[in-house]
Amino acid sequence: MKNIHYLPVLVAVVLLASCGGGAPTTSNPNTVPPVVSTYSGPAPQSAAVQSFRISFWENVKANNRCGGCHYATGQAPRFARNDDVNLAYADATSLVNLTQPDQSQLVLKVAGGHNCWLSSNSACGDILTTWIRNWAGSVAGGGGTQIQLQAPADTVVGQSKTFPDSAAGFQSTIWQLVRDPARGNCLRCHAPNAATPQSPFFASADVNEAYAAARAKIDLDNTSRSRLVVRLREESHNCWTASCANDANAMQAAIDAFAAGISLTPIDANLKISRALTLYDGTVAAGGNRYEANTIAKYEFKTGSGSTIFDTSGVEPALNLNMSGDITWMGGWGVNVKAGGKAQGSTAGSRKLADLLKVTGEFSVEVWAAPANVTQEDAYIVSYSAGVMSRNVTLGQRAYQYEALTRTGTTGANGAPALLTRDADRDAQASLQHVVLTYDPVNGRRLYVNGNFTGDMDPRAGSTLADWDDTFALVLGNETSNNRQWQGVLRFAAIHSRALSLAQIQQNFAAGVGERYFLLFNVTALTGVPQSYIMLEASQYDSYGYLFTKPTFISLDPNARPGSIALEGIRIGINGAEAQAGQAYANVKLNVTDANYTPAGGQLLSEVGTIIGLQKGPAADQFFLSFDRIGTQTYVRTPVTGITQAPVDLPAQSDIGVRTFEQLNQSMSRITGVATTNSGVRSTYLQVQQQLPPVPSIEAFLASHQTGVAQLAIKYCSVMVDNPTARAAFFPSLNLAAAPAAQFADANGKDILATPLLQKVVGTNVASQPSDVAVRAELHALIGKLAAKPGASSANVAKAACAAALGSGVLSIL
Amino acid sequence: MNRNQSGRNVIGAVLAVTLSACFTAAAFAGPAQRAQAKRIHDRIAGVPPSAVVLDQMEALIVANPATGPAAAARVAMLAPSFYTTVLKNWVTPWTNRDQTAFAPLNDYTATVIGMVRDDVDFREVLGGDILYVGGAGLPGYSPANNNLYQQMEDDDVDLSRANVLVRDTQSAHTGIPAAATAGVLTTRAAAQAFFVAGTNRAMFRFTMINHMCKDMEQVHDVHLPPDRIRQDVSRSPGGDSRLFLNNCIGCHNGMDPLAQAFAFYNFNETSGRIEYTSGQVQPKYLINMDNFKPGYITRADGWDNYWRQGANTVLGWSGQLPGSGNGAKSMGQELANSDQFARCQVEKVFRTVCLKPPVNGADRTEVNRIIGVFRNGGYKVKDVFAETAAYCKGG
Repeated sequence: MKNIHYLPVLVAVVLLASCGGGAPTTSNPNTVPPVVSTYSGPAPQSAAVQSFRISFWENVKANNRCGGCHYATGQAPRFARNDDVNLAYADATSLVNLTQPDQSQLVLKVAGGHNCWLSSNSACGDILTTWIRNWAGSVAGGGGTQIQLQAPADTVVGQSKTFPDSAAGFQSTIWQLVRDPARGNCLRCHAPNAATPQSPFFASADVNEAYAAARAKIDLDNTSRSRLVVRLREESHNCWTASCANDANAMQAAIDAFAAGISLTPIDANLKISRALTLYDGTVAAGGNRYEANTIAKYEFKTGSGSTIFDTSGVEPALNLNMSGDITWMGGWGVNVKAGGKAQGSTAGSRKLADLLKVTGEFSVEVWAAPANVTQEDAYIVSYSAGVMSRNVTLGQRAYQYEALTRTGTTGANGAPALLTRDADRDAQASLQHVVLTYDPVNGRRLYVNGNFTGDMDPRAGSTLADWDDTFALVLGNETSNNRQWQGVLRFAAIHSRALSLAQIQQNFAAGVGERYFLLFNVTALTGVPQSYIMLEASQYDSYGYLFTKPTFISLDPNARPGSIALEGIRIGINGAEAQAGQAYANVKLNVTDANYTPAGGQLLSEVGTIIGLQKGPAADQFFLSFDRIGTQTYVRTPVTGITQAPVDLPAQSDIGVRTFEQLNQSMSRITGVATTNSGVRSTYLQVQQQLPPVPSIEAFLASHQTGVAQLAIKYCSVMVDNPTARAAFFPSLNLAAAPAAQFADANGKDILATPLLQKVVGTNVASQPSDVAVRAELHALIGKLAAKPGASSANVAKAACAAALGSGVLSIL
Repeated sequence: MNRNQSGRNVIGAVLAVTLSACFTAAAFAGPAQRAQAKRIHDRIAGVPPSAVVLDQMEALIVANPATGPAAAARVAMLAPSFYTTVLKNWVTPWTNRDQTAFAPLNDYTATVIGMVRDDVDFREVLGGDILYVGGAGLPGYSPANNNLYQQMEDDDVDLSRANVLVRDTQSAHTGIPAAATAGVLTTRAAAQAFFVAGTNRAMFRFTMINHMCKDMEQVHDVHLPPDRIRQDVSRSPGGDSRLFLNNCIGCHNGMDPLAQAFAFYNFNETSGRIEYTSGQVQPKYLINMDNFKPGYITRADGWDNYWRQGANTVLGWSGQLPGSGNGAKSMGQELANSDQFARCQVEKVFRTVCLKPPVNGADRTEVNRIIGVFRNGGYKVKDVFAETAAYCKGG
């Protein structure tokens, strides 16, 4: 074992023991505990004892807590005795670790299942931890604390089975049993549509949902250790016959049948690999560096099952929350709130908030939250209220903004006007964020996101909280009236009775959230350096992935030095194979050298972190590292190259199209001799430009396009005919002064217009164009009809004939 | 007849004849080569040929059926409208996010037009210190506005003339060092469209779309190392890391290390200019750092082409280049020297001239042949237009 200065956390080796499932519950002697009366014994002899009394002893001495057994004449140790607080203190000191409260024997014992007074052992452990931390006064923690690393068990990477992507195998085996009302009957609770839905929903009617939920409860390599089996065989959880053993066998048989259909994942024998670890084989890096001196309600979401979210603040009465609707537990500590889901406390339990906060006149609401999206509005993350019209405080999301409503002496009964973060700042993101709302009479409301003040000032001056209503209820993920749904993941929530300072908020942000471990991958055999490891900090990032950060080469032998070890191409393996995605260390290429290595901290190999997909769950997924080069050992990787896809024939397409907008403009200009810059045509062109065909596809040509083409053609022809020079060049024989009926009386007269149009618009002798005869006949007919109109002029007839030709398909089609 | 009545009659007549003309477009007399010449001119120049030009082109095709059509296409390219209309509308959609052709001429468009006209090696489009500005009688180039090019469009100037659209260098006009120029990527128009706000990934994505004919989904490969994905990309969007591991990662793992080449560029909306902060990473590369704290932190403009491994090796990267470097110029050259760049240019011309994508084996064979002509001939885009027009000249 060795010490390294690493992170501001304090980790003890002893916790490793607690990760494996906890100590067995022991039977207690049948005792009749005394009634715990008001204390009348000797006064505390020192400030330390006084601190013990206030923070710890007063909380545990009740006979429905530790005082039920560990009283003055009861079971030793008698740390809960009510006759002499000094004697209780003497007994308690040997049971606690004031430097690392969560590592106290007391905590580990209760968290391991010893007479927890709640339904969640971990919640009891967390509450005891808080009491001991308060006793120790070590809430501020401080930087530069020590990590004590211990070598994990030496485990060879084994072949293992991996869950297939398809739920088919599960569907035909386990799902049949858990959905069968006559046998497993798990759907009675473990389905989202059950009368009292209990996650995990491994009996859901949706087989994919059920499969996803069941994977964490199945051990493919040792089916008898599957949680689904253990729950029946050892914990007699809702057995469906009189014999839990038989039911467990039936469940195991179904899992065996499922596992039998899955082949072992073989390991490439040539890979240069480390030894193996699961997440829980690592050294715990608990987030013990939070500022929690004034926390009055705290939710860490550690329980992972059931429908109660425990308040582990240690401040009585506990404000536990009941989950209802679609809200499910997440791996790695958290809950996922979906449509219809929320977690709400009782009004009686919530009363402590109003009682305590009205006294201090200030507060903070702190959450680690990952919004499901950035489109939800009026979405309440944390609310202490009684419906949409009346509230004490609410922290919500409005698309990219966070929103704070607080009832004070200067706001309405609904906490309005809201404090909103600036829309353009996009403070709310669909990723895990640390969000804190503080309130104090001087600054009013303030919002902090990821340790930074958003800079948004409260539109109302601060005041008192005297008007707070103590009949309201605390609710997460919605309003009490169920019509302000917020969707997303909550990893942590707390309410403090003081406005946290920026430094305190940043301390809590830096402490992070969730359970984290240091995984030590043994590479001694590869490097030859005694007790050498590649250490990674790992945690379950969400229900579907692990986060790995800070790969570090380190030896637990303080006298060992690496010399010079070439390292190249590090990949993370999971369950016998390298992960397909997320290999952020594949490009690592460096030397571990004495110069860069310190015995205390090792040598950091990369500063980036990465996500690796979860397969079986944190208890079962076995990790290892592989190396392209480590020291003198190399693995030659075959380069992966792409495969050119065989081309596929597309449906035959027209090989003609239409001129697009600018081509039409240029074409008409060119034909008529009128410049595109002519103010008249320019104006018309700009007006109809976007009405002209934007693309040449003939399938996309619309009637509206033709109208635009006609308008432009009319303009060009009009300008051309009105301009003597252009007109003379185009229609050399046209006499505007002549009456149209006379000028265009016969075929020759009509050809004054038709012939130039045929030559200049249609072209001569072009096979792809309509025949001269047909076009000439159409033009003659048109000219004759127009010339016969009363009031017709030669100019108008010429313009019309010109526009008819210019705006027609003979020009548009190309 | 009053004026309004007259106008209605004219419109009615136009529509009547138009419909008639459309439906009576039966082929009639005339040699096939003449119709081919007309189509080539229509497609290349965008306008119908004069009788003289049509005769000349027809004669070329008749004289040599093998090479005549391409030669005829080169005659059609003499029309100013090849530059002012066809090329302009070919390029304009590349210069804006809406990919619309309804946008004014700008320095990006004008530079491509000039490069085509002057037979500049088209690979320079992503790496050259090149800019086409106005000649005598036109306003000077301003790095702060588009006035010059707007006027060129308003005046419908003849861009085929070398004294109207004049070759110059960006470094002489925009204040960006020559080593930091990257063809059209560092023009004002491109900067305004793709370096504005955001994270500069837009510049990379649109470069891929416009010059490699691949949107990001088409180069998706989740197997590459994600070590260069920046902090702003959530690894658990909405609390579900599967989304990241199956979707986001597949584009960002290749894009982010390449788009790092733009780390020193920005478009300043206040000044209207492109900015280049040599040695200093733009703040936009470091935004939303708390989305994933252990993500990659950009400290310089070094880029790496991760697509030289994995599925995207099919893009055909040049073995003559190292696949990594610093800055936009060398990254642009990396793209421009790929097989896919050449293919993309040819396919874009094919769509413009043939009015359809390559649809069958014959089309694909021809595209491959034209790619060969393009590359072996020094990357001259006019070669591609000529060869493509010859192929799509019709029966």
